[in-house]
Amino acid sequence: MLKSTVDLLTRTSNFKKISCKRLSTVAQLKSNEKLDGFRTVQEDPLKHNSEHLAQFYTLSTSEKNCLFQHGGLPKSFEIQTKTFNETSFMIREPAIEIINYLKAIDYSKPPVKFVLFGKKGTGKTLSLAHILHYAVRDNFLIVHVPWVGNWMRRPKEFSNSDIKEGFVDINIDAAAWLLHFKVQNAVLLQKPEMRLLEAVQWNSRESTAKDVPLVDLIDHGINRIKFASRCVNILAEQVKGLSKIGVCKTLVAVDGFNAFFYPNIKVYTDKKEKVTPGKVTVTEGFLNLTKFDWHNSAIVVTVDELVIAQEDQISHYPRYLLGKTGFEHLDPFVPVHVTNYTKKELISTLDYYRERRWITSYPGQDDELYSLSAGNPYNLMKLCNGL
Amino acid sequence: MALRRILVKDKIDQFIRIRLIKRLNKFDEIYLRMAALKTISTTKHLIFKPKIHLFSPFIQLNGMSQYPHYYIEPICRKEDQKELEKTGEISKYAHLPTKAAFSDHTCSSKHDPLVSLFTNYVMKSGKKSLARDLLEKTFEKVKRIQLERFHKTKNEEDKNNIELNPKVIFYKAVENSKPLLQLTGIKRGGVKYQVPVPITDKRSQFISMKWLIEAAKEKDRTVKFADQLAKELIDAANNSGRVIKKKQDLHKQCEANRAYAHYRWS
Repeated sequence: MLKSTVDLLTRTSNFKKISCKRLSTVAQLKSNEKLDGFRTVQEDPLKHNSEHLAQFYTLSTSEKNCLFQHGGLPKSFEIQTKTFNETSFMIREPAIEIINYLKAIDYSKPPVKFVLFGKKGTGKTLSLAHILHYAVRDNFLIVHVPWVGNWMRRPKEFSNSDIKEGFVDINIDAAAWLLHFKVQNAVLLQKPEMRLLEAVQWNSRESTAKDVPLVDLIDHGINRIKFASRCVNILAEQVKGLSKIGVCKTLVAVDGFNAFFYPNIKVYTDKKEKVTPGKVTVTEGFLNLTKFDWHNSAIVVTVDELVIAQEDQISHYPRYLLGKTGFEHLDPFVPVHVTNYTKKELISTLDYYRERRWITSYPGQDDELYSLSAGNPYNLMKLCNGL
Repeated sequence: MALRRILVKDKIDQFIRIRLIKRLNKFDEIYLRMAALKTISTTKHLIFKPKIHLFSPFIQLNGMSQYPHYYIEPICRKEDQKELEKTGEISKYAHLPTKAAFSDHTCSSKHDPLVSLFTNYVMKSGKKSLARDLLEKTFEKVKRIQLERFHKTKNEEDKNNIELNPKVIFYKAVENSKPLLQLTGIKRGGVKYQVPVPITDKRSQFISMKWLIEAAKEKDRTVKFADQLAKELIDAANNSGRVIKKKQDLHKQCEANRAYAHYRWS
C-alpha cells in the first residue's frame, strides 16, 4: 500500500513539472495541416456539426494529457496513437448528436441522462472521449470515470469500511480516480468559488474546515489513502452542491455504468465474502451523481458488455445490462445507439490508415475489409494490423 | 494401359488429349526407368506403342493421394476463372473431375503463398489459427517498429528509404537468409566428412525459414515470439542479425571443407 502511495505521488509531481512544457508543442502539430476528405482542420469540438461526419480531427498533445492521462482511452487505441504519432478521433453520429443536445439543454432543469449503448468494439468509449473534449472546451466540470470495470472486476485492493458497517472500500482505486479528477479539472479547480460547502470530520483528530478550496479536499483524499473512498462520496456531494448554486456546470461521464448494478463482482470483505456493487463505498457517490435531484448538469453514461463476466454477455441493450434496479435508477434517459461503421466511415478510416502509412493498398481492399469486418471498428482495426 | 487406347480410339477433345499426353509422359518416364530402358521415345510414339504390358498394372500412379491420377487441380482465384471464361476455355474444364480446393485456398488479394507456407512452418500440432495469429502479430510489430523509426527520422530522403510494407520485409528477409551451399556427412574410410554440396532453391528457402523461426524461438521467457520474430525479420532484411550470421558461418564452413568436395562423386 505504501508503495502504491509513493507511485501516486510521483505521478502527481511529474505532471506538475511537465504540464507547461507540453503546452508549447501545440504549434508544431498544427503547422502540418492536411485538407484531405477524411480529415478536418476544425479542431474545436464546439464547432463540430453534421457536416464533419466521418472526418478525423486531431487532439492536441496538451489536451490529451489533460483529459486522458490517467485512462479514458482504450488500450488498443492508445497503442495506435503512439504508432501514428498523433491522437485523432473520428467525428461520428452519436457524439455529434449528444453534443448538439448538450448545446441546447436548459440547465436550470434536472439533468438529462444519455446512455450510449452498442455492440462490443463499436466506439462507445471513443464517442465518450469526443464528448469529454467538447465538455472541457465548454468549461464543464468533468466527473469522468474511465472504466468502472476496473473497480468492480479487478480492484487493486479492498478493505472493510470503518464508518459504515458492511461496506467495502477500494481506496487505492479511489485515490487514483481523485487524481484523475484533479488533473482533468486542473483549470476549473483554481477558481476561488470552488470551495467546500460544509466541514468534513474525517476522524477525531483530522478534519477539513468549511470554505477551504476543493483541491484541499481532493489532496486530503490522495494523501490519506485510508479516506479516499469516503472522499469520493463527499466530493460527489460537493460537486452537486456547487452546481446547484451555479458555481459550475457539470458533466458526469461514466464508462461502463452497468458495472454498478452487476452482482457478480470480485470485491470481497475481510472475511472473503463476496459483496454486491451496492456495498462498495464509491458506488454510492456515483449513483448520487446520477440522480435527478440537482440541476446545472448533464449525464452521459455508457453501458458495455465488456464490463461484466463473459458468460453473462448475452445482449448489448441497456435494459439487460442495467437490470431492473439500474434501469429504474436511470429512467427516463435518452438512449443513443453507437452503430458499426457505415461504408463512408469505413473508407474514411482506411484512407486515414493509408495516409498514416499503416496499411498498403491493394485492389478491392475497401470492399474486402468491409465484408470481413462487417463494419465493426474494432474488427477492422484488428484486420488492418496484419496487412 | 487400356485407358490410353480408348482415349486415342475415341478421338476425344484435343485439350484433354494434350493434358493426358503430358501426364502419361511423366508416368511413362517412371516405367521406363523402372525397366531400365535406355531410349525415351517421343510422346506420340509412346501413345501409339505403349509397352505397358510388361509392367504391373497395380502400380499406384498418384503417390499417397486420395484422388485418382486423372483428377485436375482446382482453379481457386476469381481472376483466373474470369480469364478462362473470357477465352472460353472454361467449357473444357466443365466436366473434368477436379480435386477439392484446400481449406486455406482463397481468392483474397491478401493471400500470399510464401506467407502461408511460412505459417505452416510455424504451426505446431495442427494449430493453424494460432500460427496465423502469430504471423499477423509479427507483421503488426514490424510495422510498428518501422513506423516509429519513420517518425523519428527528420530527413525526407531517409524517410523514403524506410520500408513500411511488412510483406516486402518478409520477402527480403527470407531471400537474404537463403544459404547457397549445404554440408552433408559422407562416410569415407570409416570417417564421416562434412562435404559441401549444392542446394536446391526449395531446400534453401526451407532452411532460411527454419533459421528465422529458430532464431525467434531463442529468446527470454518474457519476450513474445511475435515480437522476437519481427526483430529477426527486420534484421535479416537489412542483411544483419543472427540468421545472416548463421548463413555466413555455414558458407565459411563450406569454404573450409572444400577439399572434401570431390567425395560427392568419388
